[in-house]
Amino acid sequence: MNFKKALIVCLIPAFVISGCGKTTKEEVNNTTNQETLAQVSGQGTGQDTEKTESSGTEASSDDESQDAEVSRDLFAMDTYMTLTAYGEHAQEAVDKAAERVEALDALLSTGDENSEIHQLNQKGEATLSEDGGYLVERALELYDKTEGAFDIAIYPVMQAWGFPTQEYHVPDDATLKEKLILADASKVNYDKDTRKISFDRDGMEIDLGGIAKGYTSSQIMQIYQDCGVTSGLVNLGGNVQALGCKTDGSKWKVAIQSPDDTEDYLGILEIENQAVITSGGYERYFEEDGVTYHHIIDPTTGYPADSGLISVTIVSDDGTLADGLSTSLFIMGEEKAAQFWKENSEKFETIMETADGKLYVTEGIADSLTTDMEVTVINK
Amino acid sequence: MKKRDILLAGGIVLVALVMLLVMHVTGETKGDQVQITVNGEIYGTYPLEKDQTIEVTEGEFHNVIRIENGQAYMKEADCPDGYCKEQGRISGQKQTIVCLPHKLVVEVIRQNDTDSKTAGDELVPDTIAK
Repeated sequence: MNFKKALIVCLIPAFVISGCGKTTKEEVNNTTNQETLAQVSGQGTGQDTEKTESSGTEASSDDESQDAEVSRDLFAMDTYMTLTAYGEHAQEAVDKAAERVEALDALLSTGDENSEIHQLNQKGEATLSEDGGYLVERALELYDKTEGAFDIAIYPVMQAWGFPTQEYHVPDDATLKEKLILADASKVNYDKDTRKISFDRDGMEIDLGGIAKGYTSSQIMQIYQDCGVTSGLVNLGGNVQALGCKTDGSKWKVAIQSPDDTEDYLGILEIENQAVITSGGYERYFEEDGVTYHHIIDPTTGYPADSGLISVTIVSDDGTLADGLSTSLFIMGEEKAAQFWKENSEKFETIMETADGKLYVTEGIADSLTTDMEVTVINK
Repeated sequence: MKKRDILLAGGIVLVALVMLLVMHVTGETKGDQVQITVNGEIYGTYPLEKDQTIEVTEGEFHNVIRIENGQAYMKEADCPDGYCKEQGRISGQKQTIVCLPHKLVVEVIRQNDTDSKTAGDELVPDTIAK
């Protein structure tokens, strides 16, 4: 009898433990890698288990909740997103952030018939929401600053290439010429006070996709802060933004994808409180008659930008700016981009790779980048 | 009575062994792994050290993920854009292959990367900008 009891006593915890692993996996579908790892490997330390618990509703002591990680994955804005926050308010923060992402997506998507931007594009005029208005304002400001490299009115040209619908084809010259006339953000009239917007030319359409994700990640940082979160990280389809530092006080390590090899990195950048946004022709492209065409269209030619740059990363505490500038500098090319940075060096830093394999890094982040590549530092 | 005790004990041990085997076969082993999620739900976790082919058929879509030489890649997919097949082979911490139309994500989960540094002094990223 004693032997039986002893056996049961020994085995019940074993069942419970393995059972726990299973249920946690199924229930917490938005669980973190680290937590999953702990469950899967069965090697979870006490701390890891606490993490899983405290990411639920149970409150735990301060020390544990400070490190508690909550992570949520979602598909929105035509990308895969991961939202992560730490601390006792992490769950609330991540849930609110996800709601905000969905709301912004519904507002700004060009493909959604009910969106504000879709309706504006159909009618040629509208009164925008606060978010839409703010983004148009920022976009027009960027258009001026980048001398037209950042152009939200490029959308008709993008359509001619089939990028929004993924029905890719090289447009003929006549079509491109016609669409290029429409691609002119200086013909967008916007009144900040009334948030009324209209277009000077019939057939003009805008797309805020070039800054929407950067704006969204900045908004998430704000939501995190409002919820009392001091450490968090989001990755919106490759657009990264971090709040504060990691819970151990060290900086976030953000790998920059190599444009010519998906398995490799250009380097690893250490950041805090910043957005890291990379643009490259490798993100979206198609082939026709043996020629590769990528999705970053130069508004002056109507063709994919051919500036000699193959990857541009912008680092800034302003996610909206970082997003808009990553494509703009890609279009400008290394020389012009370096000049642009010198004139605006207090607002952002950049890492650029040219087609001949050279890596350029601005001086403000030169020490934060770890890379095997030879680096040319751009100084003021 | 004693015989029954032994029978019971033997039964429990047997069940435990079967469970261990099941956990082993379903890939809940140590080492670097890839986790496949479909629409946020975990579909399965598979060790990278074992060459294998994973077929994911959910509703109308079909993806085939192949693990070979410690790396995972999308071998087949019937999604309209086919981008998932061009995302290369993954094996590094936080690397992902995303099939957006099918809401399918393959993500590497490395065993020994809880510390910021691994063997060879390699920096392990918290996330990847692309």
